[in-house]
Amino acid sequence: MKIAILSNVNVNGIVRLIQNSCDIYENEGYGNEIGMLLNEESSLCLFKPDIIFLIEDLQEITGHSLDKSVAFDNIEKWFAGIKSAIRKEIVYYISDSYAYGDELEVLTDSTVKDGLEHFWCEQLRKLILECPNVRMFPYRKLVEQIGAPLAFSKKMWYMGKILHSAQMQQLIADMILEKTALENRIPKKVLLLDLDNTLWGGLAGENDISPIELSEEHKGLAYKNLQRTILQMKNQGVILGIVSKNNYQDAMNIIDNHPHMVLHEDDFAIKKINWNTKTDNIVEIAKELNVGLDSMVFWDDNPTERELVGNLLPEVEVPEFPKKPELLADSMIQIWKKYFEQAVVTKEDSEKTEKYRANLKRDELLTSSVSFEDFLKGLEISLLRVDSFKNVERITQLINKTNQFNLTTQRHSQNEIQQMLEDDGYRIFAYRESDKFGDNGIISVVILNLKGEIPVIEEMVMSCRVMGKKIENAIIDDIEKTVKDMGYSALIGKFIQSAKNAPVKNLYTGLGYSEINDESQAKKYIINLNEKENRDYCLKMIFEEN
Amino acid sequence: MREQIFNLMDNIMRLPSGTINENSVMEDIPEWDSLAHVLIIGELEEKLGIEIPLDEAVEITTVKEILDKAGV
Repeated sequence: MKIAILSNVNVNGIVRLIQNSCDIYENEGYGNEIGMLLNEESSLCLFKPDIIFLIEDLQEITGHSLDKSVAFDNIEKWFAGIKSAIRKEIVYYISDSYAYGDELEVLTDSTVKDGLEHFWCEQLRKLILECPNVRMFPYRKLVEQIGAPLAFSKKMWYMGKILHSAQMQQLIADMILEKTALENRIPKKVLLLDLDNTLWGGLAGENDISPIELSEEHKGLAYKNLQRTILQMKNQGVILGIVSKNNYQDAMNIIDNHPHMVLHEDDFAIKKINWNTKTDNIVEIAKELNVGLDSMVFWDDNPTERELVGNLLPEVEVPEFPKKPELLADSMIQIWKKYFEQAVVTKEDSEKTEKYRANLKRDELLTSSVSFEDFLKGLEISLLRVDSFKNVERITQLINKTNQFNLTTQRHSQNEIQQMLEDDGYRIFAYRESDKFGDNGIISVVILNLKGEIPVIEEMVMSCRVMGKKIENAIIDDIEKTVKDMGYSALIGKFIQSAKNAPVKNLYTGLGYSEINDESQAKKYIINLNEKENRDYCLKMIFEEN
Repeated sequence: MREQIFNLMDNIMRLPSGTINENSVMEDIPEWDSLAHVLIIGELEEKLGIEIPLDEAVEITTVKEILDKAGV
């Protein structure tokens, strides 16, 4: 990518700052931008730049005239010249305006300065509308970032017509590199957002006890400003999606009814508010929206979720989450700049969400080409049944720490586990899982009670990291086969509801077990091992040699 | 302060650190061209607060003169 910086003031210092980072045109003087552009034999045209940055000082264009008719005339002439010089194959960035000059400092009527700047910007806007390869360079924003007294240098101006201070030259150089990178890269399409502690403070499901934080003050305002930033991103073409572990009703209650929600239901092209794993939900979203995983950015306050998505779906970008709420909007601005910002925003961009929502409704009727099974196969999961005697510590830890995928939530000490291992009335199974991205270690434990006539799965726990990959189907299948090999023809599963294990409430019925009416606190389910259907999973089962 | 001045000049002219010293003169250093000179005078003022009057600044051709004007 070849670039050139042209100006009516000396910008050689800026060129020098950039020289080592890209192929840049070495200026010959300044103030003859239009001549250089028009002359096909000029060193500029022979250099064949891909992008030309025009950084213009307004007072030099107007000849320092504060007489409207003269100043406006000069501005119009400049734009007429540029327009005739524009070529289709080159991208042009033209600075917006900050009028700087000593005479402006003693000017009583400040509307004159505003009028000049405004007229310049109007001309620029017109040109941008006419020419799709002309863009605005945010010069004014850079001046305002440090303030005029620091942005301009009298000493360098008088010595060598260098208008900008060293600091301002650096800012302009950085912005030029940023815009150059922008022209080179393919922006991301979809921003996937968590809800709790991401779009608002606190947890949706508990809002009757502790209201969520989203308001016009303190921390709540930080979340509101974050939402304002995200809404503007959506208006500029970013597709928004929700990926949240929540009860759908709890979350939608806030989205639909909270008075400070800036983002509304129809701002999101897709919503996955459920207890499935986030990786599953993201894969489904890719399928349903028909976009690649490499077009998505996932933002979640929970480091485990970020790591999980980052590891399992390495194509998805997973930026960091700020530790302080006052940095929420700033972090989102960085995400915008890094992944989504485009050189131009079109009308189509601002209507993208509606389009995707419509497509989605159509696609629901069609079957997509990439199946979940294909995805699972691609993960190359293997499940290894390991020797429980050698892994008592990890087994104890999993039993006592797992909340969601825990069928009976019975906690046991390491001592108790040891005793069960030595008791012929129990068998403890432990499974280790790995996939193409690495080894997840021991992720599941099953305690089988063999004391009665029919064996009972007393407990089954599985790490939430691996939920939603049909691994539980393979584990149950392994238990069923083992029990059958031992000569039994039926198996019983137990479920005791806890505050957190809703995700596995229907595990046994989903696998074809029938509920047994029983007076006890635990629900019990039974299956006839001679009549059970084939279990559906996509992994390789391995048995550790003892 | 002397070290800071040398560093600043090395940086502007993209010279290996330690190139500029109190005996450096414009003549011997091709990188010390007119553009570099303006940038040096500008940055001395902006970053180190060393103000060299305009008419004196354009006359300078040695580091010694800069150190003299800076009073260090």
